[in-house]
Amino acid sequence: MTRRHLITLLAVVAAGCGLPEGDYFGPVPTVDDPRALTWCNSGEPESLDPAHGQSTVATPIMHALFDGVVIYGDDGLPEAGLAARWDIAPDQRRVTFHLRPEARWSNGRPVTAYDVAYQVVRVLHPATASVNSFLLDWMKGNLGFLENRTRVLLTASDGVARDTIVDIVAIDGKPLADWDAPPDTNLRRASTPLPLRDLGAPVVAAYATVPAGAEVTIIELTDRPATMPSPDGQAWAFVFWDRGDGVYGWVPAETLGPSPSRDHRYTVRPVPAKEVPGDPPRWLARPFDPNLVRPTIEVGGDALLMLPEVLGVRTPDAHTLVVEAIDPSPSILGAAATRALRPTPREAVARRPRKWVEPSTIVTSGPMHLTEHAPRDHLTLVRSPTYRDPTDVHLDTLTILSTDELAATANLYFTGRCDAVTANAVPQSYLAALSTGRGGRPYLDYTVEPYLGVYFAVINTKRFDNVHLRRALAYALDRSRIASFLRGGEIGVASYNPGTPIAALSDDDLRTCGVTRDTPGVALVIERGVLCYVPPPGLEYDPAKARAELATARAELGSKFPRELVYKFNLGYEGHKMVAEYAQAQWREVLGISIRLEQQEWQVFLNDTRQGEFELARLGWIGTAADPEVEFLRMWRCGASDNRAGWCDPTYDHLLDEAAAMSDPRARLAKVRAAEEVLIAAQPIIPMFVYTQKALQRPYVRNLPHNFIAQPPLWRAWRDPDWRRAAAGAR
Amino acid sequence: MIRRVLGRMVGAVAVLAAVATIAFWLLHAAPGGPFSSERRLQPAVERNIEERYHLRDPLWRQYTTYMSGLARLDFGHSMKRPDTVGAIIRRHFPHSLIIGLLAIGFAALFGTALGVIAAARRNTWVDHGAMLIALFGVAVPSLVLGPLAIRLFALKLGWIPPARADSFVGYLAPAAVLGLIYAGTIARLARAGMLETLGADYVRTARAKGVSERGVVWRHALRLGVMPVVSYLGPATAGLISGSFVVEKIFQIPGLGFYFVDSVTSRDYPVLTGLLVFYVAFLVALNLLVDLAYGWLDPRIRDQRGAP
Repeated sequence: MTRRHLITLLAVVAAGCGLPEGDYFGPVPTVDDPRALTWCNSGEPESLDPAHGQSTVATPIMHALFDGVVIYGDDGLPEAGLAARWDIAPDQRRVTFHLRPEARWSNGRPVTAYDVAYQVVRVLHPATASVNSFLLDWMKGNLGFLENRTRVLLTASDGVARDTIVDIVAIDGKPLADWDAPPDTNLRRASTPLPLRDLGAPVVAAYATVPAGAEVTIIELTDRPATMPSPDGQAWAFVFWDRGDGVYGWVPAETLGPSPSRDHRYTVRPVPAKEVPGDPPRWLARPFDPNLVRPTIEVGGDALLMLPEVLGVRTPDAHTLVVEAIDPSPSILGAAATRALRPTPREAVARRPRKWVEPSTIVTSGPMHLTEHAPRDHLTLVRSPTYRDPTDVHLDTLTILSTDELAATANLYFTGRCDAVTANAVPQSYLAALSTGRGGRPYLDYTVEPYLGVYFAVINTKRFDNVHLRRALAYALDRSRIASFLRGGEIGVASYNPGTPIAALSDDDLRTCGVTRDTPGVALVIERGVLCYVPPPGLEYDPAKARAELATARAELGSKFPRELVYKFNLGYEGHKMVAEYAQAQWREVLGISIRLEQQEWQVFLNDTRQGEFELARLGWIGTAADPEVEFLRMWRCGASDNRAGWCDPTYDHLLDEAAAMSDPRARLAKVRAAEEVLIAAQPIIPMFVYTQKALQRPYVRNLPHNFIAQPPLWRAWRDPDWRRAAAGAR
Repeated sequence: MIRRVLGRMVGAVAVLAAVATIAFWLLHAAPGGPFSSERRLQPAVERNIEERYHLRDPLWRQYTTYMSGLARLDFGHSMKRPDTVGAIIRRHFPHSLIIGLLAIGFAALFGTALGVIAAARRNTWVDHGAMLIALFGVAVPSLVLGPLAIRLFALKLGWIPPARADSFVGYLAPAAVLGLIYAGTIARLARAGMLETLGADYVRTARAKGVSERGVVWRHALRLGVMPVVSYLGPATAGLISGSFVVEKIFQIPGLGFYFVDSVTSRDYPVLTGLLVFYVAFLVALNLLVDLAYGWLDPRIRDQRGAP
């Protein structure tokens, strides 16, 4: 018995014996201040910087601190934020956001389109090395920028106009790929000391000085299509000095001196206006138009610069932002709500790029502001006095406890030390007690809601290319029993894309989805009243079909039929083992296949599944937006980096290609659904259940919804001192 | 004396260098890395991140860079958090130190008292009772005792917070839970040491010249009788302060233990290596202190000049 098990066992003992009778888990404290809330989070956020934070622990906090052009509403779908309105181009490749002029940073400066563009640059710039860049993989030019190989041609050359966007093909005749450290056109060696300062500030206001001889990288120039105008008529450059944690700052461009790369000859290739700079991302297997002539020209390094305009982002003025996508993107609004498009305050980031999110230096734009941060203990957020819409903020103080031990979190809640617990911070061992504590029924303050995530077994199809064996395994699982041992209300499904059980949808959503309430399975509302996705049915439990498929597989494989299969799963969550043991029992019972279970440390597990060192393995996938295609289906394309099954079906890829080129959302979803049918038939993965969010929330907490992406607008919550009267009235 | 201390310090540096070296290579030999997750990074991003943290340099160069940083007492920067390893230690070690010291204080006082009483009343019910308590302390691990204590004192009686040390009271329960294991061991060591000493010639002499039994036990025998306890206190203190992870986790004390374990699973190379070196340095320093205390307690050792 491992330590973890022992802790669990004891937690069960502790939780199970003598819970108080009543409707709620623990005594309900009286509400003193309706505008103060304590929220139990499930750990210490790894970063509060929207360019670096990525976990479910950090994102709800970042969304409270930093406004977005669009933000996640109560239902998890995008709603108006900094942008009061927007125009989506008919081809769904471009959105123009019109930002509210009244938005202010906590230091009083207006929040502008330049701040949003700056965040895009931060997230994608090689110098930032952000793990969040995948959130912008739909954006035009993202790959060429990430790979530091797209440039703007600064002077007309060989008939190619000035400001043309070009790709570097070779340097000094040597192909770019063969260079280990290619000379960067954006590097400058300071010939005199460079005082770094805010845009337009005098030399005396410098906060750092780059010594003569040190190298800096140009990130932006003023007066470009995606950057701000110069305040004084002369061109300014925003540069990065890689010293220690790094420091950024503005200097007049003419003080930078000549480019050290001017003596190198760059072979570049203009990128036609409609084409994507850089090669297409791997999942876009679409070939370039072969008739397209892409002549190359040769220029010196001083004629080229990588500037934000090579990306699909433009700032025509301070309050207008244009973003462009590679393909028609029906979910572009959802993508715009993520942290990758949350403006960040350049003046704060520039001075302390890695530490600016500390209370003493943070500058925020969201409904809440950070005033206290005790790492691994708590954060204190207070109402931001500068937020654009004070009526939208119900809280004066939000205390976030950063406890990482689930039992401790539940105990803090139980003893009245927090008002609500974040989704999925309820220990597995408490679930049984919570769901039966009120005389066999769940406590009233314990809720289970669907979550945009799916749990499945992945099959290494490079080793098991027999589709009948895979289908046999799928038919042999009775998913309806999974919730009975995991005890978290998990929604057993044989279909793949996650969603809400159809039976639980509202009448309006049923209409949108075009299904009746008695339809089995789940559905995902993508845009209220407009768009809904109902995944194709999966291979539901059917022992007879399972055995028939098995017989076919045996006949086809003959002596190559495996004697035993190994199923790998990782440590970290007790449920993995329960699911593994259940599948093992089912497959033995229904099919007579013997399964060996192998439990692995997380990193070893990641490594093995990535290297194809497995036969069967558990896997979970959580989406960040309601987009079946991008979030859940692209990963199974041939050679996609997260395609651990190693599965490849040209029909599937072709259907997704066709979908990607469509701008009519409904027709596109139909194509996507056809692709998913191919996936289901081939079963490189065996879907098991849709994740749920288990949460605890006191009855007096109002306006703290658990939406399907677990991004609650925390600032809208409040505590109702008269909740008992309201509860009595409801009864 | 000074020569001995200096000699030990030279040895300590060698030990630390060896520990850092072994930790570095072992950790880099483990599969995975600080930036692996279910969702694979785009190759370009992976490259940018690896360049940012110099993970693309050959391992030997990463090693020499790290070791030369270490020589300048620069533990490096975490790859997962916006903090230097030094800042993490400075911020979180005090919490570990507080419960560690409280625990060792509790263990030393309670354990020694238990042991001495048991030895003085050997083979009576007092002795058996005391040893039963000691056995309980040794046998029941903190991950059992912790939740039970929370169940009783926090959830049932409401005397202590169930988690988080937001006041001094919050440190007491975890310290007691942590100290009890060591108290048991200390009680048994103290009892054994006392029994041996109580039979020694000089104690018989003391008795013969009419010193009261209480005086014999507490004034004459105790100083030599607790020698095994003292030699145990050094590693025990280091063990308590560095090994409080389970208790820190159960009671959610923001100590250093979390980072020690988390850096293993997240492959945060600089943090793990840095913490290991820090803990080993701590252990070596405490052992040195124990040696010095030995000299103070036992004149025979003090007089052996130059012996290591």
